[in-house]
Amino acid sequence: MSRPVEKRTVDMRVIGDWVEPGARVLDLGCGRGELMAYLVQARQVSATGVDLDFEHISACVRRGLSAYQGDMTAFMRAFPDGHFDRVVCSRTIHELNDPAGVVLEALRVGSKVTVGFVNHGFWKNRLGVLFSGRKIRNEVYTTAWHESRPANPLTIADFEAFCREKSVRVVRRAHLLGDWRTPCSFLPNLLAGYALYDLTRR
Amino acid sequence: MTDDVPAAPGNLSAARHLAQDDVGIVLPRDFTHPGPFAFKSGQTIQGFTLRYETYGALNATRDNAVLICHALSGDHHCAGWHSPSDRKPGWWNNLIGPGKAVDTRRFFVICANVLGGCQGSTGPSSTDPATGSPYGIRFPFVTIPDMVNAQKLLLDHLGVAELHAVMGGSMGGMTALMFAMEFPQLTRRQIILASTANESAQAIAFNEVGRQAIMQDPAWNGGDYPRDGGPRVGLAIARMMAHITYLSDAGMDRKFGRRKRESAGGEAYTFDAQFEVESYLRHQGQSFINRFDANSYLYITRAIDQFDPARAAGSLEQAVAGVQAESLVVGFASDWLFPPEQNRAIALALLRAGKRASYAELATDLGHDSFLLESEDLYALISGFLERDETYAFDFAI
Repeated sequence: MSRPVEKRTVDMRVIGDWVEPGARVLDLGCGRGELMAYLVQARQVSATGVDLDFEHISACVRRGLSAYQGDMTAFMRAFPDGHFDRVVCSRTIHELNDPAGVVLEALRVGSKVTVGFVNHGFWKNRLGVLFSGRKIRNEVYTTAWHESRPANPLTIADFEAFCREKSVRVVRRAHLLGDWRTPCSFLPNLLAGYALYDLTRR
Repeated sequence: MTDDVPAAPGNLSAARHLAQDDVGIVLPRDFTHPGPFAFKSGQTIQGFTLRYETYGALNATRDNAVLICHALSGDHHCAGWHSPSDRKPGWWNNLIGPGKAVDTRRFFVICANVLGGCQGSTGPSSTDPATGSPYGIRFPFVTIPDMVNAQKLLLDHLGVAELHAVMGGSMGGMTALMFAMEFPQLTRRQIILASTANESAQAIAFNEVGRQAIMQDPAWNGGDYPRDGGPRVGLAIARMMAHITYLSDAGMDRKFGRRKRESAGGEAYTFDAQFEVESYLRHQGQSFINRFDANSYLYITRAIDQFDPARAAGSLEQAVAGVQAESLVVGFASDWLFPPEQNRAIALALLRAGKRASYAELATDLGHDSFLLESEDLYALISGFLERDETYAFDFAI
C-alpha cells in the first residue's frame, strides 16, 4: 500500500473503532464512498453520504451506497433532531463555507459528530512556512495556491477553542503523529499531523 | 415528453436496427384482463387491454424484470424498431438494449401503454361494450394507482415474481414510486427521473390550459367525437404549449435562437410561421394530433395533477413507510416543470423514512426532457444502480 493510500485509511481505522455496530451514519462530504463502504462492511452501519459532486454520487451508487447530491446544511435541515446516530465530517471541514454552522447542525441531527482534519499547526507545516515563506507543499498539501480549492486550514488549538466557545462537549479525541498512525499525547498542536474528535451536545 | 428521439440518418436507417447494442425489430403485444376492474374512483369496467412490449428474457427465478413506465404522451414502444423503415426507434432506445445502461442481455424489460392511454391500451377512445361506441368521458377517472394496478395484472400474466427495478421519467417516475408503495414485496429497486410527488400549482396550471384548449374546441363536443375527428385544434395547441414546458429557455435558445425559416422572406409582415421555433411547435402540434386522443390527454393530465401520495398518508415519509425498494432519484438542473427541489423532496422523504435512497442531479440545458438525454454520466449512474459493482464496492484504495 502506498503511503498516501495508507494515510487515507486513518479515518477508517479510528472511526471504525468509534462507531457503534449497526449505527445510522451520515457522512458529510462522502466523496466516492470509501469510508461508508468500509463502515458498512466492518461495522454493518446503515450509511448515507452527502456530496456536491455528481461523479462522487455516481461512484457511491455503484458501490451500492445511499448518497445525496447537494448542500450538506440544506440536507441536514430536512431531518428531525437526532435522526442519525453519528454524523461524520472527515477531511472536509476546512473546505466548508460555514464550518460552525455545519458542526452545530450536525450536532442537532446526530447524537454524535465525528470530525477528522489535518492539523495545520503540525511542526513541519510551521517550519515549512517559516523557512520557505510559501504556501505549504507536501504530500498532504499537494497543490500550489493557485490550483487549490478555497480552504480554511485549522489547527488542533483552533478546534479546541471552537468547542469551548460553542459549548460542544468533546467525548474523545485522537491525535496522531506525522505518520497519522502513532498516538500523540504530548503537545498535540505541535506534534500531531492528524486529529479526530468525537463530539456531542452538552 | 417531446418526440425528439433522434431520427436515423437516411441512408443508415435500414441498418440501425441491426446494431449490436440495439434490441432490433420488436412486436407489440396485447394483454387482455377478462374480469371486471375497479378504479380508485369506485367505477368499474368489464375487462381491459394493455398494449406492451418486452425485450430480453425472463430468467428461471423470474426476478430479472425491469418495468419501464412512460410519461404523459409516451407509450409502450420504448426500444427497438417496429420495422426496418421506421424513422425513429422507441423513445428510450438510447438507454435500453444489449450492453446499454438497461442491459437486455441481463434484464427482461417490460413497458406497457398506461390504462387510459390511446396507443393500444384501453382508454376513453376504446369502444364501450355497453354502447358499441367510444367511452369518451364516460370512461372512469384514471389515477396513477389505477395504472399501477393494471400493470401489476400484466406482470402476473407474464409470470414476473419480483421486479429487479421499476423506472420512469416524469409521470413514469410517479408510476414507479406508486409501484414501490403499492407493491413493496415485488419491487426491489426504483429509479425516478425528472418527477415529483406532487405537482406545483404552476404545473397544474399548465395542464389546465391544455385541457381548456381541448374542451373549448367546439369539436370536442363534450368528449363525444368520432375516431377520425375531435378537437384537433385544441389538442394541437395543448401540445404546443406543453412542449414549451418540456424544454428550457437556454435549450430553446441553443436549438432555435431567433433563426428564421429559409422560406420566410426578409421582413415579412405576416402571421405565417417565420421563426424556426414557430414552425417547430406547429409541427409538434400537428404530429401529436395524428397519434394522440384528446380525451386521453384530459384523463392522463388529470391523473398527474391528482397524484399526491403525501396528502392521503399525512406526509410523504408516511406514504413511503412501506417501501422496501432501494431508490435512485435523478433531478435535472434546467427542469422547471418538475424542478430539482421536487425530486430532492422524494429522496429526502425516503431517507427520513429510513429507506435506502440516493439523489443525483445532472446539469443540462434540455429542461424537463433531460431525462431522455444521451449522457454517459446518466448511463453510468443507472447501470451502476441496476448492477452494483461488487469488486468496486469494497475497493477502498481509490
